Amino acid sequence: MEEARLISLENVHKQFDGVTVLSDINLYIRKKEFVTLLGPSGCGKTTTLRIIGGFETADSGRVLFDGQDISGLPPYKRRVNTVFQKYALFPHLNVRDNIAFGLKIKKTPKDEIARKVDKMLDLVNLQGYGKRSVDSLSGGQQQRIAIARALVNEPEVLLLDEPLGALDLKLRKEMQLELKAMQQRLGITFLYVTHDQEEALTMSDTIVVMRGGRILQIGTPKSIYDEPKNAFVADFIGESNIFKGTMIRDELVRFCGAEFPCVDEGFGEDAPVDVVVRPEDVLLVGEDVGQVTGVVKSVLFKGVHYEMMIDAGHSIWKVHATTMQPEGSRVGLSVVPFNIHIMRPMQEEQ
Amino acid sequence: MIRNLTLPWWAWILMGLCLCGFVALVVITVRRNRGMKRSLFAAPYTLWMILFTVLPVLLIAYYAFTDANGAFTLDNFRNFWDSNYESNKVILEVMGEDGAAYVTRGTVNVDTLVYSLWMAFQCTLICLILGYPAALFMADRHMKLGSTLVVLFIIPMWMNFLLRTIAWMSLLEDSGLINSFLKALGFNGVQLMYNSGAVLLGMVYNFLPFMVFPIYTVLNKMDYRLSEAAADLGCNGWQTLYKVTMPLSVPGVISGITMVFMPSVTTFFIPRVLGGGNTMMFGDLIESKFLTEGNWNVGSALSLIMMVLILISLSILRKADPNGEGGGIA
Repeated sequence: MEEARLISLENVHKQFDGVTVLSDINLYIRKKEFVTLLGPSGCGKTTTLRIIGGFETADSGRVLFDGQDISGLPPYKRRVNTVFQKYALFPHLNVRDNIAFGLKIKKTPKDEIARKVDKMLDLVNLQGYGKRSVDSLSGGQQQRIAIARALVNEPEVLLLDEPLGALDLKLRKEMQLELKAMQQRLGITFLYVTHDQEEALTMSDTIVVMRGGRILQIGTPKSIYDEPKNAFVADFIGESNIFKGTMIRDELVRFCGAEFPCVDEGFGEDAPVDVVVRPEDVLLVGEDVGQVTGVVKSVLFKGVHYEMMIDAGHSIWKVHATTMQPEGSRVGLSVVPFNIHIMRPMQEEQ
Repeated sequence: MIRNLTLPWWAWILMGLCLCGFVALVVITVRRNRGMKRSLFAAPYTLWMILFTVLPVLLIAYYAFTDANGAFTLDNFRNFWDSNYESNKVILEVMGEDGAAYVTRGTVNVDTLVYSLWMAFQCTLICLILGYPAALFMADRHMKLGSTLVVLFIIPMWMNFLLRTIAWMSLLEDSGLINSFLKALGFNGVQLMYNSGAVLLGMVYNFLPFMVFPIYTVLNKMDYRLSEAAADLGCNGWQTLYKVTMPLSVPGVISGITMVFMPSVTTFFIPRVLGGGNTMMFGDLIESKFLTEGNWNVGSALSLIMMVLILISLSILRKADPNGEGGGIA
């Protein structure tokens, strides 16, 4: 595994005007991997990307590329290319010259430039747009040009800084699939920054969840969704019910005034824990057979399912179900042991 | 001088008609909109423009095409090409055919114009060479000093233009600060004033801010990510500068060139103070026609020629920045 690591960050720290934006970032990215840095704004994900791109330098720590320290290397000497948040296309050049920019700097022969640019225009589905000015293109088209401009240089890593942020929902979904397909076809490593958890789950091989300049969890989309490390990750990725509880012993947890059998162990006896139950994992059953009972407070139709808020005395449960229970009715709630996820309570940093 | 103000009766009527037309326009606007409209707020300025810009320009045109008696003539323009035109005419009138041998063509006016254009060109070039890097430095977002520098550039502009120029005199004079310093060190004094170099120095000093600020504004508005994108695509610092930053700052440069070149061509006073009469620029020439010789007709013709030249250069510059992005007057 060691030799497959393309980029490693080791103990990276960064401060802006005395405010810590990154502390102790350790991260590695494998070849041909699609890695997403995910977190709320201000979590340091863009700064991490900019450190790898060479636009910022870390105060301490090392950035390794193919085993070599590139911390001091300027951007133009790095074998990575960036797709910028607002595209940063050159307004004084037309589409063709924008894409050819990097190749011209490298003094590539003219016919080769023409061939590669044509191939890129094909790839991003903008054949025949070469002579257009970039201002005349829509947001989605500009986005494709920005991607083509970066990819034409055949970088080993493509850095993408919230590239779909400015697009509307439908276009964004299309582009997500397109980007993922492109990455698999070209076999290039993608490092993607976003605050959109759904985007991260759709596209990534590995998700890095960040908050307050720290990495909270690294894992596959599935492991992060199913086994969030703490309440923040659980809350940020998908929707969830998070309860304070007590681990009575292995495989038995107490929360919301009831005892639930679960599958987690190793937390000790009578240990305080955070409990996550995804809304779609809560089963609505008869009042008499539920582990907890409650009253339906509100019902929202969400298309595929109904979202019901259920007041169970000391706690409110969010439940997703395809059948609706009328407001005010009493229902029983039940969760199978496998769907209860136990986490150590989060120590508040900072 | 008053005789120049005795206009023919039709000129007075023309001016009267202009004023009546303006008043009528205001009245019509008010009545059509049944009250005040926002366009009405422009009325004071329009009146001001008519009184102090449009009418004077019309007057200049009138003087340029008439002689001292108010009769139509093109002599004033012939005078421009041949400054001996008036005296030659007298020679030919008195001596007839024999006088042709004594006729010479004087080129003082054209020479002055060429000299002015040359000086203005040099001044603009020096301002650009000095100003562009300064603007670049000021607009650099990593440079904490940038905003301080902006203020330093503005401070001299708080002082009067004449005062600033005269201040240079006390520096450059034979008994001025620099020469006193040199003499104190045991060197011989140097003649610093009364030459083209001193005039150029004064012009650059006075007009440099007009070059720096338009460029600074454009650079400051520019998205810094564009230079990052250039670096990302393989440009080192210099390549980024001439592939991205410079092409995108063209509107500012155009605006700066206009704002330096125009006042440079028409400069007066600076040559007189720092050039000490050894150099004469077109502005001084016009001034002397009006104030020294009292020849308003020739002076007006010269002004008109100047105006046409400026209009031509403006329209050329406008082509380079069709959207007026530089925020200048080009």
